[in-house]
Amino acid sequence: MSGAVVLTARGAQDTTVDAGELRFDRFAELGAAEIERQTIWAGAGPVPLAELFTVRGQRSAQVRVVGDLRRVERLGAGHQSGELTIEGPAGREVGLRMRGGRITVLGNAGWGAGLEMAGGVLDVAGDTGPRAGAAGPGAKRGMTGGEMIVRGSAGPEAGASMRRGLLAVAGDAGPGAGRATIAGTVVVFGATGGDAGQWSKRGSLMALGSVSIPATYRYACTYRPQYANLLLRYLEERHRLPAGRARHTGLFRRYSGDLAELGAGEILAWTAE
Amino acid sequence: MLIRGTLIEDTFAEAFTMRVARLIVTGASPRWVNAAALKLTGFATSVIGCKCEAGIEHILEPGETPDGRPGVSVLFMTMGKDDLPKRLIERVGQTVLTCPTTACFDGLPDAPDRVGVGSSLRYFGDGFQASKVLGGERFWRIPVMEGEFLVQEKFGMLKAVGGGNFLILARSAGAALAASEAAVDVMDPLPGIIMPFPGGVVRSGSKVGSRRSKTMIASTNDAFCPTLRAVTATALPEGVNSVLEIVINGLDAPAISRAMRAGIDAACGPDIVAISAGNYGGKLGPHHFHLRKIMSEPPA
Repeated sequence: MSGAVVLTARGAQDTTVDAGELRFDRFAELGAAEIERQTIWAGAGPVPLAELFTVRGQRSAQVRVVGDLRRVERLGAGHQSGELTIEGPAGREVGLRMRGGRITVLGNAGWGAGLEMAGGVLDVAGDTGPRAGAAGPGAKRGMTGGEMIVRGSAGPEAGASMRRGLLAVAGDAGPGAGRATIAGTVVVFGATGGDAGQWSKRGSLMALGSVSIPATYRYACTYRPQYANLLLRYLEERHRLPAGRARHTGLFRRYSGDLAELGAGEILAWTAE
Repeated sequence: MLIRGTLIEDTFAEAFTMRVARLIVTGASPRWVNAAALKLTGFATSVIGCKCEAGIEHILEPGETPDGRPGVSVLFMTMGKDDLPKRLIERVGQTVLTCPTTACFDGLPDAPDRVGVGSSLRYFGDGFQASKVLGGERFWRIPVMEGEFLVQEKFGMLKAVGGGNFLILARSAGAALAASEAAVDVMDPLPGIIMPFPGGVVRSGSKVGSRRSKTMIASTNDAFCPTLRAVTATALPEGVNSVLEIVINGLDAPAISRAMRAGIDAACGPDIVAISAGNYGGKLGPHHFHLRKIMSEPPA
């Protein structure tokens, strides 16, 4: 194994590129020439990776992809192991169905970041587009495991139809966060948009900022869940995501819902009182 | 071998392989952590009568616990690996789940063998419980009248050593007690050990079986009872009028050796005639702690 494999984009893409078949976790076993020969879909057909990226390094579980990748879709799809760092904005569906390892995006991520991910950690330094960690169109289940950290704000329907896993948003979350969750946890440090948790079966939505409670949720009590202590400490220590005052103080108003569904879910709205 | 006038007898302590779990119990304040921990480790002195042996290993600062609250670590031991989950479910269910503000976490995360605890206790939630996975570990949130009880699904289980011991043979009961207290005080802060008896000290050391009853598995260690010196095959030197025993269980044999080294050294003095140890001729337990070998090693 050598230092990180570095792929540098040969300028901004003028056509949509689908990197969904590129398995970065296999780069640990590939030499530089083999990496350059990996195929990637650009426009209507496959092209060698070297046509769009310069390749430096070989045989490493650490891969860096550098450049403006807004039109590169499905980076890190099916990622299982190793560390993939995307140094720039990423296109649609980064980390699609990833199962392990770590993907870090040092910029914004497009539609469907972490879509249906099942394991590992997806860490986005910037904002994410709609449906981060959610289910794809027509699919029943969003995230089924793993942890997704959004250090900026998340677009609409973050965590929609989650089955398991943890989605933490350091900024604001758009409308429909945690919509139709089967289970799992969504934490929003900033403001949570409307219709949060609507049609949720068992999911937990923890709102540390403002949140509007859907009519189909019912207030239960104001308390300090032991899980909050564990979760907020975990996010701070494992993911360097400080929760501020909520980490140590304050209570949570618990709302049960969605009562139009199973009703075993909850919205935990932090209150400093 | 003499240490400050005390004879270190040429004998050894015989100890057994046990199974151990480490529980991290946290609570809103040290008061409630202690309340839970004392109940959890109560009536857990010896597997002879209690089915398990347990003790508080350390007090933990908020920065050392998974949820950032005050806590303790407890070592909990049984003889068999099948017994450990049974006893943990009983004890955690009756003493930690019931105690206000407390939560219970695994303190052996790297142990490959895992036993289910929260996975059984969750049924107390009667279907209202919820599970959460963090960092690959599952936790159960069990609704209770106070709010919720949080317990980890599985706890690590390791092989451990139980029954390390030494006997303090003193000129008087007062001297035996003072030496025991001195020994416990220096051993208590050491990592990886517990002393499961009251205050860390046993006054009723036992021998295997009974002279009179076939059903008793243990009875008084008459060879070390000063009151029986004239009527039994005594093991007591002249001048001994009281004997106390300190039993040490540990995560491994070196932890017990270190503790015995420190404890025996603290116990020695002019009013202590000798330090001895309990064994069964080396036939029952695989771990032998030779007193003179331990005391010839440098202190940790």
